[in-house]
Amino acid sequence: MSNTKNVLELRNVDKSFGPIDVLHKINLSVRAGEVLCLLGDNGAGKSTLIKTMAGVHAPTRGEILMDGKPISFRGPKAAQEAGIACVHQFGGTFPLMSISRSFFAGVEPTIGWGPFKVFDRKKANDIAVHEVRNFGITRIEDGDRLVGGLSGGERQSLAIARAVYFGARVLILDEPTAALGVKQSAHVLRIVNEAKRRGLAVIFITHQVMHALAVGDHFAVLIRGSIAADFKKGDKTREEIADLMAGGESMADLEEKVGIEA
Amino acid sequence: MSDTIQIAKSSKPKASRLSVGELMRSPAMGAFVGMVLVFCIFAAFGFHKNFLSVFGIANWMNFASMIGIVAIPVGFLMIAGELDISVGAIMPASAMTLGILCGPYELPLGLGMLITFAMAAGIGWINGILVTRTQVPSFIVTLATLFAVGGLTLTLSVIFVNRPQVAYEAPELAKALLGDRYFGFRASVFWWILLSAVLYFILHKSPWGNWIFAVGGDSESARNAGIPVNRLKTALFVLSAVCTAFAGMLQVAAFNSAQSATNFPLIFNTIIACVVGGVVLTGGFGTLIGIFFGTMTLGIVQQGIGYTDIDRNLSQLIIGVMLLAAVLMNGTFQKLATSWSTSKKED
Amino acid sequence: MNFKKTIVGAVVASITAGSAMAADIALVIGSNQDAFWNVVKKGAEDAAVLVEARGGSLTILQTQGYENYGPDLAVLIEQATAQGVDGIATVLPVPEAQLPAIKAAIDAGIKVTLLNGGSDSLKESGALNYFGSEEYTAGYEGGKYLAMAGAKNILCHNQTPGTANLDARCQGVVDGATEVGANARELPLPANLDQDVAGTSAAIEAELNGDPSIDAVITLATWAADAAYGAIDSLGKTDTVKLGTFDLSPSTLDRIKAGTQTMAIDQTPYYQGFLSVSTLAANIDFGTKIATAPVLTGPAIVDAANIDATFAGVEAGTR
Repeated sequence: MSNTKNVLELRNVDKSFGPIDVLHKINLSVRAGEVLCLLGDNGAGKSTLIKTMAGVHAPTRGEILMDGKPISFRGPKAAQEAGIACVHQFGGTFPLMSISRSFFAGVEPTIGWGPFKVFDRKKANDIAVHEVRNFGITRIEDGDRLVGGLSGGERQSLAIARAVYFGARVLILDEPTAALGVKQSAHVLRIVNEAKRRGLAVIFITHQVMHALAVGDHFAVLIRGSIAADFKKGDKTREEIADLMAGGESMADLEEKVGIEA
Repeated sequence: MSDTIQIAKSSKPKASRLSVGELMRSPAMGAFVGMVLVFCIFAAFGFHKNFLSVFGIANWMNFASMIGIVAIPVGFLMIAGELDISVGAIMPASAMTLGILCGPYELPLGLGMLITFAMAAGIGWINGILVTRTQVPSFIVTLATLFAVGGLTLTLSVIFVNRPQVAYEAPELAKALLGDRYFGFRASVFWWILLSAVLYFILHKSPWGNWIFAVGGDSESARNAGIPVNRLKTALFVLSAVCTAFAGMLQVAAFNSAQSATNFPLIFNTIIACVVGGVVLTGGFGTLIGIFFGTMTLGIVQQGIGYTDIDRNLSQLIIGVMLLAAVLMNGTFQKLATSWSTSKKED
Repeated sequence: MNFKKTIVGAVVASITAGSAMAADIALVIGSNQDAFWNVVKKGAEDAAVLVEARGGSLTILQTQGYENYGPDLAVLIEQATAQGVDGIATVLPVPEAQLPAIKAAIDAGIKVTLLNGGSDSLKESGALNYFGSEEYTAGYEGGKYLAMAGAKNILCHNQTPGTANLDARCQGVVDGATEVGANARELPLPANLDQDVAGTSAAIEAELNGDPSIDAVITLATWAADAAYGAIDSLGKTDTVKLGTFDLSPSTLDRIKAGTQTMAIDQTPYYQGFLSVSTLAANIDFGTKIATAPVLTGPAIVDAANIDATFAGVEAGTR
């Protein structure tokens, strides 16, 4: 259920900070309704890549294209307006605020005009609860409940539901399951599938192979700033993917190095 | 592949028991209960000295109002994750500016007030710029402005009027609006209540209030959500300075004089009022009504003790204990609010 | 005005550089937050005109506050000693903390005069003279004055109980009033209300309301007089409760002129500053000494009878 045009594409993107080269010749693309899993260990350059896609950094070389047209973002806000939404592992929601206030932070619906604008709590509650339930989080009924009372998985889902509601076309999820247990991770993965079903392009960044395999259509492995491998689901086995993730070592090599008798 | 998402009924987890309405009531309720408790104690011990009279109530309300007017914007900044201790110098600076301009230099009161407000806004603006443009924590920035403004006030006063105090009697109408007493309550009490109402609307009803909570909760996320974090914080510092200046003006109108000495007690009193009123120290949560009750509680303890036979020095001990109790209670509420539990064990 | 004096002094100093008459003097006094010291400084600065004309200099050292008064003053005296001054004029409110530093200065050949507080320790300190008033005596005169003016029950407000000189003042008030057959007691307020006009006013108001027999209040600082007046005025008792204070300020004098305050006790801080510095310089340059020691610069009572003469001085910050 994906159309042929790439929603977001990076062509030959390099990113350097002064003399330090972080990203080399990155070629990535993702289509609507598709999940691209970006696998990479710590230090591979993931966060720089995310920030470049989200408009925080501008590429040193190369170009970014949306819907086939080259685009450059003045800043993260511009990227957001273009439809690129970033959901981080922590943050994005405010624990001591209500679900509706957190959902609408910065873009509050109001009644009235001028300096007498009042936050439209009822409307905000209705919309926030509706959106979140639509994503399958049926536990939430009251928009006045505190975000802090939600589980980690539910908070991630809230952030994703928010991004979708405000018109995201590309969802960049930065290690969404890294801090979650098995059951909560499954929850988040179901939300990712739902987003995909609704036609978003999802870039799912993780170093957990199992989770990537559960939702990914398309995989790229980032090793030391370059794309070391790029393949579709089914092109490689789980073991091969895990090996690539670990920097090219096979399990056997690792065992040998560690001194375990085969 | 199923499109819909099912959650097995048997493992439906329990949500946190507290909704926002309930949480908002809790620390504010704590502050209210504390206030009532303290009021009853002093009413009992101070009965024979007329603590329970209109006069007795007006007595501590007058004192509380001077703290309250400054405590609310200081509380806003605390909710947004910042501190402002320069209020201790802005109050005497404003009082002296008004007193000198309108007293010995005989400027019309309206003009003097305008200039004083502008000066205070300028100081607040500098605080805001320094906090948002540098990595220096607001405690240090406002500590610096505290001493800088304090020193300037002392020096400039001596240059302009040869001493660090000034006498000024405001004209009739101004006195009636700013300094006089009605049924024992000073004008500052009415201004305090009015300001509280306006700021209640801003904090709890307007979208900007939501921004304040968001910035205090997680300023990065707030920025990503499009909230102009720097402009908001600067605006809050300006609000704090301007309200403090107003308190200084009310004092001049009431007591016909101003002094240059930095008002260190004001710093502690406003922070205590906020914390006892349920403002979370790390930012992101607080209620206006809580700050209001916290200020009243402080007033009752500080002044109420004079109606009893208890040694006045113990007032400091009582305040310290109250503060500790408030922090512990509020911490518990916070934990309760951000807890999540399942009724069934996870696999 | 200050700049002009500095320039004149600098020119004269450069001309007379190397002359035997060059008294470098340090004045060590209290908190720069307290308006009282400003008047002392005015007196000292006037004396400095002469000092500088003869090629000397005046440095004014102040403590930051009163919280650590004795040790802070001792540190300032040691600082002046280390700077190699010829003379130190200092206050002596906490002899135990300061006498060692003063002795060390004298041993280093520095001449010392005392001002404002510590007259009891004059002999022990080895200083040339003391210029100030005696706190107890001033309180005594004040209490007596109010009692003779008709007060029957006097309240003495003490903003930092435990401070020797303030305690002595109120003790004096009590004794002076009792001498003439009136009642008097101290109102000690906690130190966290020090300098807090609104808080002090509320506290005094509560006290007056709780005991309607109080018909006079005396305060130990002029900001406290403002606070007390606020309390008396709020209760509408300006005709029945007399107000007195230590020291002068513009608002105090306005009230005496208007009849809403009865009196103020002037310890003439101008002379404390002027005489402590000028006699010190003269002793360093010429070896002169005043025969009378201590020299009492107060108390002088300012009331409706002599109020007009004070206004010019208040404008100039010298009273």
